[in-house]
Order: sequence, then C-alpha cells, then structure tokens
Amino acid sequence: MTNGWIDIKNTDMMLIMGGNPAENHPCGFKWAIEAKIHRNAKTIVVDPRLTRTAANADMYLQIRAGADIAFLGGLIRYAIENNRIAKDYLLNYTNAAFIIKDGFKLPEDGLYSGFDAEKKVYDKKTWNYEEGGDLTGKPVAATPPEKTPPPLKAGTPPPAPVLPQKIAFDLSLQHPRCVYQLLKKQYERYTPEMVERITGIPKEQFLKAADLFTSIRKDGDMKKVATIIYAVGWTQHSFGTQIIRTAAMLQLLMGNVGRAGGGVNALRGHSNIQGATDMAGIFDILPGYLKMPTPTDVDLATYLKRITPGQAKPDPWDSFNYWSNTPKFTVSLLKAMYGPAATKENDWAFNHLPKIDRNYSWVNLWNDMYEGKVKGIFAFGMNGVMIGPDSQKNIDALKKADWLVVCEIYPDETSEFWRAPGITADEVKKINTTVYRLPGAGFAEKDGTFVNSARWLQWKNVAVPPPGQARLDQEILATIFLKVRELYQKEGGKFPDPILHATFSYTNPYNPSLAEVAKEINGKALADITDPKTNTTIKAGQQLPGFAWLKDDGTTLAGNWLYCGSWTEAGAMIQRRGTEDPSGLGIYPNWGWSWPANRRVLYNRASCDLNGKPWDPSRRQVWWDEAKQSWVGNDVPDFKVDSSPKDHMGPFIMNPEGVGRLFVPLGAMADGPFPEYYEPIESPIPNLLHPNQSNNPVVKRYKTDMDKYGTVEQGFNVICTTYRLTEHYHYWTKNNPMNVQLVPEPFIEVPTELANQMGIRGGEKVKVTSARSHYIAKAMVTRRIRPMKIDGKEMFQIGIPIHWGFRGIAEDEGKTAKTLANELTPTVIDPNAFTPEFKGFLVKIEKA
Amino acid sequence: MASAVERFDDKASETFESVGRTTVYRGELLRHPVYSRALHWMVALFFFLALFSGFGIYLPWLFRWFTPIFGGGQLLRAMHPWFGLGFVVFFGLQALNWLQPMIWTPADSNWMRNMKKIVSSEEKMEAPDTGFFNAGQKVQFWEIVGGCTAYLITGIILWVGAPTFGRILVAISYVIHDISALIMLGGIFIHIYESTFGQPGTFQSMTRGAVSEAWAWTFHPAWYKQMTGRDPVQACEEARRQMTTGNKP
Amino acid sequence: MADRKALQVEMISAHPGPVPGHGVQRNLEVCKLVDTTTCIGCKACEVACVEWNDMPFSPTTFDNTYQTMPETRWNFWNLIKFNEHQKEDGTIQWLMRKDQCMHCADPGCLAACPADGAIVKYANGIVDFNQENCIGCEFCISGCPFNIPRFNPETKRVYKCTLCSDRVGEGLEPACIKACPTGCLKFGTKDDMKFIAEERAKQLRENFGIEKAGVYDPQSVGGTHVIYVLHDATDPERYGGLPKNPEIPWSYTVWKWLFKPVLGTFALFGLLGVCLHYVTAGPRRTQPEPPRKGERNG
Repeated sequence: MTNGWIDIKNTDMMLIMGGNPAENHPCGFKWAIEAKIHRNAKTIVVDPRLTRTAANADMYLQIRAGADIAFLGGLIRYAIENNRIAKDYLLNYTNAAFIIKDGFKLPEDGLYSGFDAEKKVYDKKTWNYEEGGDLTGKPVAATPPEKTPPPLKAGTPPPAPVLPQKIAFDLSLQHPRCVYQLLKKQYERYTPEMVERITGIPKEQFLKAADLFTSIRKDGDMKKVATIIYAVGWTQHSFGTQIIRTAAMLQLLMGNVGRAGGGVNALRGHSNIQGATDMAGIFDILPGYLKMPTPTDVDLATYLKRITPGQAKPDPWDSFNYWSNTPKFTVSLLKAMYGPAATKENDWAFNHLPKIDRNYSWVNLWNDMYEGKVKGIFAFGMNGVMIGPDSQKNIDALKKADWLVVCEIYPDETSEFWRAPGITADEVKKINTTVYRLPGAGFAEKDGTFVNSARWLQWKNVAVPPPGQARLDQEILATIFLKVRELYQKEGGKFPDPILHATFSYTNPYNPSLAEVAKEINGKALADITDPKTNTTIKAGQQLPGFAWLKDDGTTLAGNWLYCGSWTEAGAMIQRRGTEDPSGLGIYPNWGWSWPANRRVLYNRASCDLNGKPWDPSRRQVWWDEAKQSWVGNDVPDFKVDSSPKDHMGPFIMNPEGVGRLFVPLGAMADGPFPEYYEPIESPIPNLLHPNQSNNPVVKRYKTDMDKYGTVEQGFNVICTTYRLTEHYHYWTKNNPMNVQLVPEPFIEVPTELANQMGIRGGEKVKVTSARSHYIAKAMVTRRIRPMKIDGKEMFQIGIPIHWGFRGIAEDEGKTAKTLANELTPTVIDPNAFTPEFKGFLVKIEKA
Repeated sequence: MASAVERFDDKASETFESVGRTTVYRGELLRHPVYSRALHWMVALFFFLALFSGFGIYLPWLFRWFTPIFGGGQLLRAMHPWFGLGFVVFFGLQALNWLQPMIWTPADSNWMRNMKKIVSSEEKMEAPDTGFFNAGQKVQFWEIVGGCTAYLITGIILWVGAPTFGRILVAISYVIHDISALIMLGGIFIHIYESTFGQPGTFQSMTRGAVSEAWAWTFHPAWYKQMTGRDPVQACEEARRQMTTGNKP
Repeated sequence: MADRKALQVEMISAHPGPVPGHGVQRNLEVCKLVDTTTCIGCKACEVACVEWNDMPFSPTTFDNTYQTMPETRWNFWNLIKFNEHQKEDGTIQWLMRKDQCMHCADPGCLAACPADGAIVKYANGIVDFNQENCIGCEFCISGCPFNIPRFNPETKRVYKCTLCSDRVGEGLEPACIKACPTGCLKFGTKDDMKFIAEERAKQLRENFGIEKAGVYDPQSVGGTHVIYVLHDATDPERYGGLPKNPEIPWSYTVWKWLFKPVLGTFALFGLLGVCLHYVTAGPRRTQPEPPRKGERNG
C-alpha cells in the first residue's frame, strides 16, 4: 500500500478491482465504510462476481476475468479525453513531459520495439529517455545517434543501457515523443466500444463508472482524492504487474498518489505477507528490496554499480535519488549477516552471498522438482500442493523428490500428498520420498511482528504456549542451522565459509528471542559515529535511530535498512500503542512503527502543490514551513526535509528521475514500458486489439507433459476464476469446526442461466474440467454472476473458492470429492513478479 | 368398519365383565357394567390430570399452585398433552360404548322443553319416555365429543407448535383449546353434582354398577320399563302404597 | 437475572401481581443498531455469539447460499440472512441482514408465555429468557412475530439471543457488536441509535440516491431494541422475511389477561349454580319419598 488501511477513510472515491476487501479483509474494510459514512465517498466495484464488496458498492460492474487492463486503459483514455487530469501534478511530479527516444514503438500490433521473437524477450534499448534539455516550444528533432562505445574486451558482456543524466523534456506536452503524447496514443485504442467488446461491460455502464470515478477532477479541482484498492485478483495474471501499473498511471494522471485518501493500495492476503516480502521471502531480492547478486557480479563494486542508480533527471530540476544510498544499505546488511568476517578487504564478504543464475520463483521450483532437478523441499507455513498452480503437477513432483520437510500445525495436503485421490495403495508403495513432519506453532503461540498491508510493524505477544511437542519456528530453524553448521565444521564442504561465518550471536542460539532478532534487523553502530550536521554521536553498540545513519564503511549493521528505526535506543517502536491522532487523518504516529521512517503515506510530498501547500487544506499531511525552511507535518515527510520547493525536487525520491513513472524506462518491466492489454493464456477470444499477438509476448509456457493449456476449440468454453471466502482462511480453517459450520462444503458458483442450460439446480454436483484436471463440488446457482457478451458472443463465468482439499473436517467425513481447485489452474506466470495465473482460465462444466 | 368397531367394543365389554364383578341385589337393576365403569373412571382420572396440569399453563395466577403438583413446570408441560391424549382415548372408547343409548330421540326434545320443571324439581319424576340417558346427559355427552375433537385438533397443533403450523394457527388453537376446557369445566360441576348430592342414589351406579329399582323408575322410567317390563308409574304408586300402609308389607 | 443491579426487571412473563422493584431506578433503554447498508456479511457476529455464549457447534449443509443455515437455531442465535433481490432495473442487490431477537418493547413471546418468570423484560429494554423457569410449551414461538425463539428438544427449553444481558449488565456491549469489524453494528441508548439511524438513512437518501432508505423500528410492537437501517424501508420482507407490520396475536394479550379470568369465573358459576340448586330446589330424590316428618301417613 502506498497509503494505509486507516487512510482509506480519507478518500472521496474508491475503485475496488481485483480484490474483495469486504470478504477477504473485513477488518480493513471498515475504513472504506468510514469514508462512505463520513465523507459520502462513492465506491465502484469491478469484479467477475457480485461479491460482498460489490453488495456494498454504489456501482458494480461485472467484468470478464482478466480484462482489467482494457478497463483501466479505457479509464485513462476517458480521463485524458475529458480533461479530468491533474495538470500541474502531471507536469511536475510525473515523467509526462519527458521525451522518449526516437525508435520507440507503441504496440499497435501487440509488440513494443525491440522484441526478440526467438528468445521471447525485449531488447529495451529504445525504452529510454532522450538525453537533452528543455525542448518546450522547440522543433522536434530525431534522437542523435549514440556515440559508438569503445570496443569491448573479448568475453565481457556489453554494459547495460542506463538512463541519460540529463533528460530532455517538453513542458508544453506537445512533443510527439513526450510521454504524455505517447500515453495518449497508446490508450487512444481503448475506446468505450472496445472496452465493452473485451471486458463485457456495457458501454453505458462503463461510461457511467468512468464519469463517476474521474468526477473528482471535474473542472481541474484538486481537492478531492480517489483511491484504488486491489489484491491478488490483479496480481494473479500473466500480466498482473502491468494491471497494477495501469492503476498507478491512472492515479498519477489524476494526481492521487501521495495524498491522504489516495494511492494504489495492495491488500495483503496474509497477516504478514508484507513482512515476508520486506525480508526477502522472494528469490530475487535481499532484505529491503536490494537486488540479489547474479553471476556477473564478480565483486561488490560491480554489483553495486549495477544496482545503484545514477543521476538521471531534467537538468533544472532536483532529485533525491534515494537509492544512491544502496552501498550503505548493502554493506550494513553484509555486516549483519557475516559480522566480523565481513571486512573491507574481503568486500564485506560479498562473495558469501549466493548468486542467482536463473529464475527460482515458485512455479519454476516445482517445475524443476517435477523434472527431477530439485531433490527436496522445506515447506514451512505453506501448503505447497494446494497452492498450485496445477496441483497435480506439484503432487507428482513431490513423488519424485528425495525428501520433504513440512512444518505445520495440521496434517495437510502437502505433508500427506500420497493421500491425494487417484493414488492407489500400490502406487503409494512406489513413492520413495522421505517425509519429515515438524510440529510448528500457531500464530497465537508465537510472539514477534506482523507487518500489515499499511507497512506497519506491530509486535504481538504470545496468547497461549505451543501445545505438546510443537516448537516455535525460530527454534526449529535455529536447531537445523546449528546442526548443519556443526556438520560443516566437522566435515568441511565445497564452500563452508558462508555457513561458518554467518553471525548467530543470540543469547540462546537454539531458540533465538525474536526481540533480539528484531533489534538486529533494526541495526546498530559498530563504532562511534557522528553526524556532523547535528553534531550528535551514536556510540558503538547502540541501536540506530534510522537508516540515514547507515554507513558503507562497516561501522553500522542493519538486517534490513527499511526497518532501521523500528527498535532504537528509545525502545521498541514496534511495540508502541499510542492512540493519539492529532491531525484526525488516522496517522496515529505513536502506534507501532511504519517503514520507512515511521512514514504512513508514501510520496507525501505530492500531497502539496509546487509551493509546498497542501492541495486540500482540510487534509494536511505535510507542508513546507517557510520560516523553518523545512518540510513539517502530521506525517513524516517522505522527502529531503530541507529541500525548498524552489529547488523543484521530485516527490518520488526512490526513482532517480524524482518523478512518478507513467512510462517505465529500461529494464524495470519485462513486457513493456506502458501496459498493453493481453488476453489470459487461456482465453475465449483472440485479442481484439491485435489478434496476431493475443497473449503477453514474453510469457513462457512450461514444457513438461503436465503443462497443458486449453482452448475454446477443445470445448473449454467457460471462463473460470478462483477466490477465497470470508469464512475460511486458505487451507487451514477447514480443520476448525467453527469455520466449517459457517461454510461446510466446497461449492462452485454458477450463473442461473448456465445452470438452466445444463439442467441443474443449486446443490447438485457439477464437474469442472480444465485442460489439466477436474474439480467436483456442489453448484451454487446464483444470479450474482450474469451471462456476459464478450465481443458480441454470450459467455459464462464461474467461480471456485479454493479452500478445500483432501484433509480436513468435511474431507475426512467424506462430504467432498477431495479434488483441489488448483488442479485446474494453468502453469503460467507473470514475467515481472512470477505470480501464477489463478484467475481467468478456461474450463468446461457438466453435471457430475 | 362400523361392525368391526362394534365387535371390538363388545369384545372389550365381555373381557371386562369376565374380570370385574357387578353385584346386583334384589330390588336393584344393573346400570353400568364393569367396562363402562372402568372407562368412566379412566376418563375421569385423565380429565382431572389434564385439567389440573392445564390449570398451571392456563392462568398465570394458578401457575405457582399447580405446577408443583406435577413436579414443576417443565414436567407439567411435558405431561399435559399425554394426559389430554389419555382423556381423549378413553373418552373415545366410552363414546363408542355409549353411542347407541346417546342417540337423540323425540323424547329428548320433550325433555328439553320440560327442563325447567325438572331442574326446579317441580316434576318429581322424569317423563315416562325418559330412557337410559336423559337429554341433559346426552347434551353433556355430545358436548364432550365435540370438545374432545376440538381438544385433539388444537392440542396437536399446540403440541407440535408454531414452526410446523404457523403462529396464527397456534394462537387460534390456543383460544379454542381454552374455551373448550372452560365449557367442560362448567359441565363437570353439574355432572358431579347431579351424580352425587343432586340425585342421591346415582353415585353407586358408577361404583357398584347397580341402582335401586326406585331410582330407575324415578329418573329413567322408560329404561325401567324396558328392563322389568313393568310400568314405572304403577311401580312407584305400588311402592308408595306399601310405604303408607305401614312398614309391614 | 434480576439480581444484577444494572438489570432492572420491568416485565415478567405470566407473573400475577406487580413486578418487584419496577420503576425504582432510572434506566436508559439500550438499543442495537444494524445498518444493513454497511453489513458485509462477514459473520463475525455469528461467531462471536456462538463463542461468547459457549454454544456447541451444530452441523450445517450446503444450501445454495452463503447463509450459514436457513434459520437461527437454539444454539445459533445470530444469523446473517443473505438475499438476492432483483431490482426493477434487472440488477441484483445482495442483501445481508443480521437476524436475531428484536427485543420488542411489547414482547410477543412474553405475552404468550404461561410460565411465571420464564421471560423477563428489563427496564433497559432487553427481553431475556430464563430457562430455569421455562416449561417448554413453545407458546413464545407463536407469540413472536419475528420467528426467533427456538426449542431445544433435549433440554425441553426455549432459547434466543439475550442481547448479551450478561455483558450489558456489566457495562459491556453485546458480543456481536464487539466483533463487528465494519461498525455496521452499533450499541447505545435507544435515543442515540435512533438518531444515528435516521441520520444515516437521510444520508443515503440525500447523498447516495437511495430514495427509500429508512429505519425499521416497528411501532406495532411498541418499537424494538434492535433497529435496522434498510435500503428500502417500504419492503422489509425482502430482507429474509422481516415483517412489515409485526403483530402479536390478540389472543395472547386480550385473551390472557382479560377473557381468561372473566371466562374462568363464568366456569365457576357452574359450581355456584349447583350449590344454589342444592339449597333452593334441593336434590331430587327417588320416588316415592318416605313421608316427611310430621306428615301423616296416607
């Protein structure tokens, strides 16, 4: 979330799409209701189903699953066409005025410039800004040819293209290659008629919604704010990241980012998924979103050069470019990881870090296991078999593994994968996987922190001790680690140093206290360090008050630079429970601690106009205090506090340009600098914008015998989407009688019209089949999903809640067919975030 | 069907007769055989059980008095419908048993016309055509038949309850059930009075089963005639003469 | 029940004579406000109710709906009713209404109850069942216009929502209110809740174009201590059978407290009549009667 849960109460307009907060985030949804009640805020819900969120909305539009970019692109077009954009904001806080290189091509045929059809990747050379100065009012010229680089030494790869130091711009936005004009041209094709044909949303409804959403910028008024709220309904597509980008662009266009009640807000599906991401629960990052080293990073300097952005901005403007501090964050992390073993001489033990040679994301891991390349897996706090996609492939992969370690609180589908339906007793005998089951502790049995969607770190206490033989995660992990280290000590190994040198100096190394770990993550000074400006000194061993103190000379240590400031000398900020909210904006600065630097709304400099005055005086977050020559406010300014508005420093300090990116230059996105609408991999129609390039061109299909993809021609003519219910939490609560009482059995939501065609009634069993497998459950016949007209043809969508498998109360009582919803889903991943396409695939449905 | 029921009734009657005993002395007539008496007292028993348990539910003022008799409100509530059912069943058997003598005759219409004289004891003897049961008894009998039917229907509705029958039907049943009970309550006072203090000599007909011939010719002359073949008025006069001519017959 | 200071008894079912202590203390009426326009059907209230009241789980089966079960049960007092309503323009409105005891000012259950003290109404408006005194006659079920009391065939007692009288008596809000994540449930004095509800309905009419929005507080039962904000107050039936004009059958009030005593007295006239007959007309004796005293023989 750029903003936060409570901040939703400050909004005037909500677009909820790709998410179902009323059902899946009911506690957070109260803030949406606060906004309705106290601000008369309007809600637009766009979803394949009339959900409980939609039931509370002022407007509900039923969209075809996966058609989100078409809808959002249509909104962008509508906003531009009707001049419902934030002109000043656009000009000064985004890259709308920046000029793009000659040779960049928009995807009228479905492809941007630089596509390599063989490798299915883009050469992003042309996806870059043009070097130059202020071109406002100047004649259009072609990009000067690049200077021929000096000849390379044989064997060294060519240097990656970088952003120009001085970016050419046109403040009149008239230059045909300025971002704004390209954007306009890009979404010119997303007419209301096209939106109707692709999404199935009737044109009048779309126009009504577009008018309502953009009405906050009627007549150039900047006071009102709109928010966009989404969840995995957007991420789980083969173009998921681009959907979110489209939303971000819309919000930038309308000047809603950085403002109270605005932003682009991802609702996290688990209590600590934000924390898991921050702490690098993903293969390609290190804690604090530092990039993972690759084999080309032969030393620290090479690595830092690659990942530290240099200056790149319009010359007259200023830019903070906060990522220029990357070396400080990196060295402090290495010091935290390897302690005294990390010295200047050995590059702070940089080479102890593993280097990623390829994609190790979720679907690839299982694919590798299925292909026999991965021999074992540790499954902690997740049910790998159920999660899918293509669960049968995961089950078959586990059959091939040598070993499996599961740490859980219930026997689950992963730890008992051999019980999957269809595996006979003879087959079970042939499975040679050794399964180790570790008794984990439940969330209420552990202390530690949860980081919520609003980026708040909140400490929780133990409610009850773990029962029986159950152990805390850290105890289990530490015990395994210490045992492995012991083996390395005894037996040596190929490269024992990273294990032997890792710091593990906890009071009780066999069961580290999480408070100690949290303090380590915050970081401390390793020598006395002094800030010359304020002449304050932090003594060696003291906790650091914030990441501004981090050094790249080995005098500081921090497990995650973003969390620096969470546990200072003043105590555990994350344990604070202050309920003061002087501004009334729901900032609660003394409750818990929010990264970065206890800032509640990111990019909050953008809540003010060029002169540093809030766009809306009634929602004052931060502002420029002329007398103090400083940024002050109710929130912590997300800015260089002494940068006067006169310096024109951009509010988006994490981008080297300092501005929000309508156009994403170079390598940040794999599939295009602007989002383009592509069909899901399994789609009922060819892409109406460019039938020859229906799908996302950089998406790869997997090649094993399990990876099958269906088409309408094969009879898979119904669009299917998966989702979760309020009453259940993933694959857990099927073990809890209370939850089972609320929703006892799996079901499939089927539109009444489809049910009539099939001749079935509610409660009868139906079988849903995809190219991969089938799923059987009772039908919930409902009028909440209507038949849709997609490109003039009548089509049906159905929905399947994912919560049931082959272990649980209903399952053990024999009340279910024991099929898994994710047996249906395809093995396709988004090229940017590697999230599988769980929403919007093709199935056929019949009476079971 | 009717004959089968009649056969059952006859058979039950015979069975009871073989078990029970009725002593009829000289100068007496058999009024109620064992079967009738047994049924009567079962009806009476269940009537009073149902009545008193019903009182507990019926009037808030009586709740605290009557519920303890039945071991508390819950038990009272649980047993009341069974008592009622017992009452209805036994009365049903009795009704079968008495169906024949309870048939309305022209004599009964006459009786009704002369009721005032009879009640005020102006007429010392019943009209000569008064049979086994007089019209007053028949009225009460048929009232109970009607009442029982109402009880049974409304009682079942109340017993099964609103979820099945709907709250309005229950509310109506509740009133009908109560009114039926009230009518029967009024009737029971008259019934008890008439069979004890009101007509001395009657009570034994339901205890021993036999009545004196004098009782028979006084209150049920036609029945007397039927049983003895003698004219009730003459028989009475003869007795009077004997009485006045001295105690030495 | 009545021994708690904060809960002053105002009415007692089937209780002859005055209510002890009634009117001695000043008491504000409490009220639960259910704003159906902001209910998200999350069922937190259902769980909170089951948990707080320590009720056993009862099995449910899939019934083509998100609704947990068709109706409340003796061990499930709080049920969100889900209804798909087709509006005139053909669009579907998914309505969610929390169903529970309405705590009427004139409680039909209490009027119907024949058991002294089985149902009490506190001065704060809460209508509470006291199962100790319940005789399981189920009359309350027919007395209730909202179809709320539920009979447990095992204990032979009737149960329903208590508005958490145990919590309210200690100054806490009911469990469902405590659990509600969105604030669609509110608890306070009746006056306050009525005010908030009317304001909300006004807001819906004026700012959200929901012209028929209104408050459900049916006067036919004297008002209720659970009130609803509805999108369409003219048609409460669509919210899972919320009666438009809830009524208590007259038999339970008029019959019970007026006609019963009167007609009962009439029945006693039978007793009086026979006594009078005995002393006036006298018994009828078998004929011939023996000569009376002083009467000459012959």
